Amino acid sequence: MIKKFSWKALFLGLAVFVLLLFVPRYLPRFQVYLFALIFATGLLAVSLNMVLGLGGMYQFHHAVFYGIGAYTVALFITKTSLSPWLGFIAAPFVSALFSLVIGLICVRLSKLYFGMLQISLGSLVWAVVFRWYSFTGGDDGIHGISVPDLISSTGGAYYFSLAVTALCLVIMFRIVNSPFGRSFQAVRDNPERSEAVGINVKRIQLTGMVIAGIFAGVSGSLFVVIEGSVFPELMFWTLSLEIIIMCLLGGWFTFLGPMLGAAIIVLLRTFVGIYTEYWTMILGIVLMLLILFLPQGVLGFFQEKFETDGMKTIREEK
Amino acid sequence: MDFASNITLSALFQQTLVGLSRTTILFIVASGLSLILGVLRIPNVAHGSLYMIGAFIMYSVNLFFGGGQAGFWIAVILSPVAVALISLAVERGLFQHLYEREHLMLLLFTFSITLVFGDLVKMIWGSDYRCVDLPSAFQGFFTIFGFPFPRYNLLLIIIGPVVAFALWFLTNKTRIGKIARAAAVDREMVGAVGINVSLIFAAVFVIGCFLAGLGGALVAPTQNIRQGMDHAIIIEAFLIVIMGGLGNIWGALLGALIFGLTDSIGILVWPQFAIVFPYVVVVIVLLFCPKGLLKSTW
Amino acid sequence: MLLVKDVQKSFDGFRAVNDAQLKVEKGEVVAVIGPNGAGKTTLFNLVTGQLNPDSGEIIFNNENIAGMPPYEICRKGISRSFQIVNIFPRLTVFENVRVSVISYNKRTFNLFSKAENVAVAETEEIIQSLGLSEKAKRISGSLSHGDQKVLEMAIALGNRPELLILDEPTAGMSPEETLSTLELMKSLSRERGITILFCEHDMELVFSIANKIMVMQHGRTIIEGPPDVVRSNREVQEAYLGGEA
Repeated sequence: MIKKFSWKALFLGLAVFVLLLFVPRYLPRFQVYLFALIFATGLLAVSLNMVLGLGGMYQFHHAVFYGIGAYTVALFITKTSLSPWLGFIAAPFVSALFSLVIGLICVRLSKLYFGMLQISLGSLVWAVVFRWYSFTGGDDGIHGISVPDLISSTGGAYYFSLAVTALCLVIMFRIVNSPFGRSFQAVRDNPERSEAVGINVKRIQLTGMVIAGIFAGVSGSLFVVIEGSVFPELMFWTLSLEIIIMCLLGGWFTFLGPMLGAAIIVLLRTFVGIYTEYWTMILGIVLMLLILFLPQGVLGFFQEKFETDGMKTIREEK
Repeated sequence: MDFASNITLSALFQQTLVGLSRTTILFIVASGLSLILGVLRIPNVAHGSLYMIGAFIMYSVNLFFGGGQAGFWIAVILSPVAVALISLAVERGLFQHLYEREHLMLLLFTFSITLVFGDLVKMIWGSDYRCVDLPSAFQGFFTIFGFPFPRYNLLLIIIGPVVAFALWFLTNKTRIGKIARAAAVDREMVGAVGINVSLIFAAVFVIGCFLAGLGGALVAPTQNIRQGMDHAIIIEAFLIVIMGGLGNIWGALLGALIFGLTDSIGILVWPQFAIVFPYVVVVIVLLFCPKGLLKSTW
Repeated sequence: MLLVKDVQKSFDGFRAVNDAQLKVEKGEVVAVIGPNGAGKTTLFNLVTGQLNPDSGEIIFNNENIAGMPPYEICRKGISRSFQIVNIFPRLTVFENVRVSVISYNKRTFNLFSKAENVAVAETEEIIQSLGLSEKAKRISGSLSHGDQKVLEMAIALGNRPELLILDEPTAGMSPEETLSTLELMKSLSRERGITILFCEHDMELVFSIANKIMVMQHGRTIIEGPPDVVRSNREVQEAYLGGEA
């Protein structure tokens, strides 16, 4: 996670961003849609990695905060007459609020107990959404959500997702490399020692959870823009594990690795899904091979091979 | 809202019995999960898949023998055995190399098995719902205090304590059980006195998975057998295990009892949100006893 | 400055610390000695909050700190090192020290400034004064044991403590390393005016630096006083020094 600021990286990032600006002009609509979906999913995975990779916390039910962001926008648009844009502003706040409440209960515990308690709380939220037909649409969800005209077309949704994702990534990158980010890493590596140097471990973990929840909420709101619907599966626990797989796949000791992992999973689901209905089996096999042979992830692997600085930390430790 | 309007004594009694039969299934599945968690420290998500496979094998074997009393019992015995064999292959082939990995990796690895098994089941049995017909002896109802109650559910209520006793006997009175309990506390120590820990672990894993298969076989006649039943049961089983205390068999029983009863009685209180009640109870329990109600082996 | 009064702590019925008394004045170097299992580390853990005492008072600067969480006690001005090396093994030496400097500067929750530019000077100063400059960019987990023990101290100094608690600072060190640690402790005490409380098995080191010595046995304070008094105490000679002095 520790990465030196470099002009090379900044230039590369800008170049990619400019290239992405031209995607809707040259690619067919379906692929533009896929790109937008990758941005949203990638943002979700990077946000999970803020707590999972950076903070070493067993955030087992991250999808809840994603789903809450999505439902907030959906309910804002379908149930109120307020400006839909307010929904997009509200989504991260509502997700942050849920993160705070769930976090307050969970951070008393650590590791597997933390994760399991989070799954129970998340499942509770899921169960309520799944059954509250009059409000959330129950297991059917809400469909045909009309987002503002500006972002309702495929191209509009694309540019909106691109802009929001890029902005969020910049903010998250700064957080990762802030004093907070460093302290959070210290807590991951040695909570006992962190506490002895005056760090309030529980509070830093809670803050990390809320930050991750905020960006998961933003990502959920992007999902509504791209898909125009919400459903309870957005906060089912299997999705949470899928996001963890994205982080693992890309490499959770890297900043952008989870983004790559998300891209791989989205593409795998889309294109393998065309040829076979058994794409989850392929995902399962990929995951198995990954755990057995490449636990540092794809990007982690390449960084290990080619990069000279940056990830030295992890490499020397292994 | 029909909030709590239809709670009568008879309905309460009936739902309690329904809850108890549900408890049996939950207990059988959760105790297997708890055993594996307690001794091997594997949060085995694939446990749900084995439960589902148990139910599907139950369906096929029962069909093969043309239903009836014999087919039913053969299937009830065969399907957990088949599941145990599958798990043996998985343990010897994959898990025994992974015991030293951290919990998160183990959890993800078992999840990958879940993904593969899920699609394998879809390949073999298709996506249609399946049903197992009960042999005539278990069809119909008993009348208890003037209320009708399905015979099969009564059978389940009887089987629950039997399994609990068998497990208690296995872990407390047999040599393998004693070694397994010692290994749960300190596996290096057990290895140091010359016991093959790897084989003990395999045995525990297989017994745990046998219970998943048994749960699946027994639940088969009471509900539609379908894709996705693995995802539903595993989360319930995990919550029960956490609520009862990791690795504690009696904790699994207590947890299953709480979970099963809140579920079935919740239907009387507020049908729409019945599935929410057990989760609420779990959260409340964990708020006050974060490490579960009974002593954990961790 | 620090007053430990009638402190007790038991684990599952075993009395690890039973009636411990200790008084540390500003500027002193105080040693706690006693055989293995006498309760020295437990006593330190009680003072710095890793453990909560069952009863008794721990007064630091006129405030009872018994039962406070470790991070609060640290912020009151007590830092410590650990007997068994306890560092951030995946971070560099520099980052290790910076963690505590950031914490001391109350910037732990600073989300948007660049960590690279934060607390650099203070961190470098500490690293230099402890002679770790050459190893500043090494991953701390790959250092030698002796260097890791020094890093332990460096991390503790990042919090600019009034009272520095060292749990066997020279355990496992070579004789040369022990000697330089001794010099280091002297300079911390003289030049920075840091009050030091430590425990140690190396009697030579203890008697060459401590102004005051407290002897523990079976979780109980046997005697507390200047080195001469302790050395000549019969009870101590029998119990611990083996009559050699």
